[in-house]
Amino acid sequence: MKRRIPIAVFFVVGQFVAFFLDGSITQLLSGTLFKYPNTMVPCLTMMWLILAAFFGNSKKLHLTAWAAIVGFIFDMYYTGILGVYVFIFPLVVYICQSLYQMLPPSFLSGFLVYFLGITVLMSLGFIANAFIGQAPASASQFLVNTLAPTLALNLVFLAVSYFPVEALYRTHR
Amino acid sequence: MQKFFSSRKLVIVIVCLIISFGLMTVSVAIRNKRSTPPLIQQFGNDIVGFADRVVAVPMNGIQHGFVSTKNLLNTYQENQRLKSKVDQLAQTQVKDQTLERENKQLKRQLNVGNTLTGYQKINAAVITRTPSSWASQVIINKGQAAGIKKDMPVIAGPGLIGTIAEVNKTNSKVVLVSNTAENSNRFAIQIVGSDSKVVNGIITSYDSQANRIVMGNITSKAKLTKGDRVSTSGLGGVIPKGIYVGTVAKIAEDDYGLAKKVYIKPAANLNDIEVVSVAVRD
Repeated sequence: MKRRIPIAVFFVVGQFVAFFLDGSITQLLSGTLFKYPNTMVPCLTMMWLILAAFFGNSKKLHLTAWAAIVGFIFDMYYTGILGVYVFIFPLVVYICQSLYQMLPPSFLSGFLVYFLGITVLMSLGFIANAFIGQAPASASQFLVNTLAPTLALNLVFLAVSYFPVEALYRTHR
Repeated sequence: MQKFFSSRKLVIVIVCLIISFGLMTVSVAIRNKRSTPPLIQQFGNDIVGFADRVVAVPMNGIQHGFVSTKNLLNTYQENQRLKSKVDQLAQTQVKDQTLERENKQLKRQLNVGNTLTGYQKINAAVITRTPSSWASQVIINKGQAAGIKKDMPVIAGPGLIGTIAEVNKTNSKVVLVSNTAENSNRFAIQIVGSDSKVVNGIITSYDSQANRIVMGNITSKAKLTKGDRVSTSGLGGVIPKGIYVGTVAKIAEDDYGLAKKVYIKPAANLNDIEVVSVAVRD
């Protein structure tokens, strides 16, 4: 009899693929994503974590620990400034999970919670970077030129991947 | 009050905040001062860099496919346009060679060794780009092992795009000139005006709304015109002289009306970088 691959394996492998895809998409589509003056940032890593919080068993998957680990790698490899996303990732996962449990499980509530999650992620990232002088300290420019386009892009990503990921978690329960 | 402080969650949050700020401060300080990150971070980055190639290589392959198809469609028009330029180019090249030889001979005669203009190139491919709107960084696939050091200038296509910010064993991070961080590298550049007077200065900031490099604090009275070429001046540090930066797009007064501010249109497209070369001064 064939043994089924546990969902935790899917989760971890998908996590790293999403992590590297973030960088690759940014690199390949940089002409489109960073068209002046707007910037869109793909947050596939965060999306994979949030979707796992929606559909998976966060205790069994050790979700918060993985969020912190991926956040640490993100800091180290992509930005080079430690201590930013290592705390923001688990926090956003925690917020999204708590909110999603309060709402009826449907696409619309997932959409709403994800919207909030990305907003919190981007805003906290901006605040942390503005503190140490890495981000331009103009909040209005951030809201209009970064946050809004980023939300638009990531909500499209969510709409595409919500149902396939849900099916994945349902079949591997 | 007693209950407020005994709350476990609050303590965790505060401890996390303190650690976070500590780490952030330390890593910014390391980035500014030391030539390489701590060994553990370097080691981690190398491993992640290797794993990244598994995803990045096929993705880059897909892009190459698209780009090749697009190029194929544009070939005819491009060919027409380029043909007219080829004759001119050959002439310039021959002249360039002759001048270079002459220059070398004269240098030898005068006993002048290497000047600011000499540099060699290390070619590297871009693996990935930081998914962030303000940290304009790309990660390239050469590091310490290939002889790359911190603060070396990076060229892509026609001109300068940035400097090396962090060096690991097998990959390094390049901060593009479009990075607006306060501590990002400032280049020494010069503009040769129409009356062949040279204006020296440094890049002071970047205007992300219009994609312009800003050169500030210019007190020189030399006349500049739109379209003047800007290149690195080779003064102060590891950057060689004569790397093309861009052309003058706009000349304005600074906020106090005392000095001039020059807006420069970068020569290289900062959002389409696949292959770069790192310039190493002789």
